[in-house]
Amino acid sequence: MTALIVSISVHELCQYEGLSEQIVIEVVDHGIAEPIAGADVADWVFDPTSVHWLQKAVRLHNQLEIDWVAVAMVIDLLQRNEALERQRQCLERQLGRFLE
Amino acid sequence: MDFKDYYEILGVAPDADNKAIKTAYRKLARKYHPDMNSDKGAEDKFKEVAEAYEVLKNTERRAEYDELRRYGGRTGGGFEPPPGWQSSSGAGGAESSYFEGDFSDFFNSIFSGGGGSRQQRPGMRGQDAEIEMPVFLEETLAETSKRVEYRIPVYKNGQVSEIKKSLDVKIPPGVRDGERIRLRGQGGAGQGEGPSGDLYLHVRLVPHPLFDVEAHNLVLTVPLAPWEAALGTKVTVPTLSGKINLTIAPNSQSGQRLRIKGKGLPTKAGSGDLFALLKVVMPSKSDDEVNALWQSLADKAGFDPREQWGKQS
Repeated sequence: MTALIVSISVHELCQYEGLSEQIVIEVVDHGIAEPIAGADVADWVFDPTSVHWLQKAVRLHNQLEIDWVAVAMVIDLLQRNEALERQRQCLERQLGRFLE
Repeated sequence: MDFKDYYEILGVAPDADNKAIKTAYRKLARKYHPDMNSDKGAEDKFKEVAEAYEVLKNTERRAEYDELRRYGGRTGGGFEPPPGWQSSSGAGGAESSYFEGDFSDFFNSIFSGGGGSRQQRPGMRGQDAEIEMPVFLEETLAETSKRVEYRIPVYKNGQVSEIKKSLDVKIPPGVRDGERIRLRGQGGAGQGEGPSGDLYLHVRLVPHPLFDVEAHNLVLTVPLAPWEAALGTKVTVPTLSGKINLTIAPNSQSGQRLRIKGKGLPTKAGSGDLFALLKVVMPSKSDDEVNALWQSLADKAGFDPREQWGKQS
């Protein structure tokens, strides 16, 4: 049985994803990802879902050459889009049950 | 190996200046970036565009490429770098920011000094992989074990192939739709001494035949006969963990939601609730006797469901 990783430290994040601490700070400063624990940068811990968005943000920043404010907006919209799509599917199913 | 015309890929003239190249790249990158475009093939297209930009934005690399382009244009058919070709600009600095070393064989044959094979840094960590994992609602109630099967690329002697992997994964209770679960070392294999990448499981809750999910609450549509809604009744309703009795009050409305505490999905802070959504349904058939009863009800009830309309007009 494979154990799940519930959290990732900032150190692991930098080591595995090839990121600098400075980039992680930028991402957190712009509200793209939020540590689930840790008061100081060195103690920050992230959950896998924020790591997913963090990676996406870094890719967008590097590959599309857009600044962090714009990246934060894009991520925010992508997340909202994902949430709305889930809600839409759910309401559509409920409406279907009501009309059937 | 085919010669890649980077100018054609970016849709710019061979004498385009840096600004035009940058503009063309940005336009195409926005269009095909895999984070913005989930279409099949968008990622390959993006890699092609990013690789073209990687070469053309760098003056030194572009000059070398232009030289080869004049040479490559003449050879027709397959492309091989000229004998003794050695790049002085190399691929340095490109790997980390653009595509983690995932250049085409064409690029590698020119800029890594290699013989056309995929050259990766020794000791490089394997790539992370992400797959969707369907989870049934019942499976979120308690810790369950689930088998996942997926394919990941492996690199051996410069060749890429895919292997099928299969894993038993413990799903934590209360897992939510859209959540990501990370499994260490189950992604793509690393190069040489490099560690394997991780595997991300993207949780997708499978639509249930009876229950809909709203955050950590469940919604169950409960059909009622008109007289059940009018007089009240007791209904046995299913929950994810067995059946319970639900009391319907007299004069209940269609669309009304009744809350059944603690029968939703588990969360760290206790369980969500189950909402019974009432839906009054008419019988599909009737006969003279039933119609007569409806008629006497209509005469006695004195009910106008469109009373509000009268007030407004």
